Amino acid sequence: MKTIIEVRGATLQALFLIGLCIAMMFVDHRFQHLEIVRANISLAISPLRYMVSLPATGGNWLGDWFTSHTELLKENEALKAEGRILNARLQKLEILAEENARLRNLLGSSRKIADDVIVAELLSVDQNPYSQLIEINKGSSDGVEIGHAVIDDFGIMGQVIHVNPQSATIILISDPEHAIPVQFIRSGTRSVAFGRGSTRQLELRYLPATADIMIDDELVTSGLGGRFPPDYPVARVTAISEDKVRGFVSVLAEPKARLDSSREVLVIKPRQ
Amino acid sequence: MSQLKYLVILLSLLVALVLMILPLPDWVQIYRPNWIALTLIYWSMALPKRVGLWYAFFTGIILDTSLGTLLGQHTLPLIIVIYINLNFYQRIRVLALAQQSIYVFALLLIDQVVVAWVEGILGRPTPVLAFLGAPFIGMLIWPWVFVVLRDIRRKALMR
Repeated sequence: MKTIIEVRGATLQALFLIGLCIAMMFVDHRFQHLEIVRANISLAISPLRYMVSLPATGGNWLGDWFTSHTELLKENEALKAEGRILNARLQKLEILAEENARLRNLLGSSRKIADDVIVAELLSVDQNPYSQLIEINKGSSDGVEIGHAVIDDFGIMGQVIHVNPQSATIILISDPEHAIPVQFIRSGTRSVAFGRGSTRQLELRYLPATADIMIDDELVTSGLGGRFPPDYPVARVTAISEDKVRGFVSVLAEPKARLDSSREVLVIKPRQ
Repeated sequence: MSQLKYLVILLSLLVALVLMILPLPDWVQIYRPNWIALTLIYWSMALPKRVGLWYAFFTGIILDTSLGTLLGQHTLPLIIVIYINLNFYQRIRVLALAQQSIYVFALLLIDQVVVAWVEGILGRPTPVLAFLGAPFIGMLIWPWVFVVLRDIRRKALMR
């Protein structure tokens, strides 16, 4: 049977640990002191992470192994055709890029055309349906740093908020705590897009009622604030609602990146 | 012999951790039961002298690191749940599995609610109905977890 002293001991211990947890959450939220703890634990469990990603990797491998000959031929054919089309487009692009560089030189402005990228894979996703954090399998040993932008094939996904040696945590642009400076391609209007906790919606608040905005307008990063490189696609306008009384417009936009289904992502390293 | 017992406990927690961080499609994600909590509840019920609050603390920290959440966000509810369990296990251990399940549902719900509180304090919208799904699935899974872990424990002790 439990004695009174034992019970009191457990209660004290519980209170102590609860206090410790609250203190840790506070420190972790406000300061960077716990990054070392996080990095070390993360390093220790990295084999486990690797193991978890094995079924997916193995699945892909098996899928490749058992793809039939005709399917491969068909795929090869399609890829060749796509390659030709892309090449044709690339020729145009190269000319445009050169022209762009020339014009920029004329204007005397220097702007990076290309950025370095690190290819990474998704490791896990935070369970809470409303928080938008994902873990990727590249970390500080691969050159990932806090603040680097993360994209997929379609557009900006988010940015790095924690870095461990073998992994990193990404906050998605749809997280309610996240905001990204954007610009409308068509009109050039600048704004800030806030996350709303849903992977399919961003919100642009308090735009002037006179702003030139239409449904289907494309949004790109503006590069202001220095976190995100400029001119990457962010979202497409899906709804515009006017607040006639206060003279503001707020806009809903759908992220271009497939925030909930992309498995491969690219981390953009700004060039020094 | 006791070495082996620790190994078994740690291995079961490791498996639970793998199940927690295994990537799942979005729509299944919210129904993922808290495997870590289920495993810790079992062990603290079976071996309350060994598996207690410190286990909850360290497992929680590792869970928080692997999910990328605030250090303590999943730890705090684990500690509360295990503390409650340490006070009630003698009464619960003797119940039928179905009755235990209801108790486990309550514990998992407390866990979810505390996680939601922290989210709320951070200024994130707190889900309401979606939060009932995971504890419910956890409740349905409990008898199975219990039987599997009990068999493992008995085998480990026999050797």
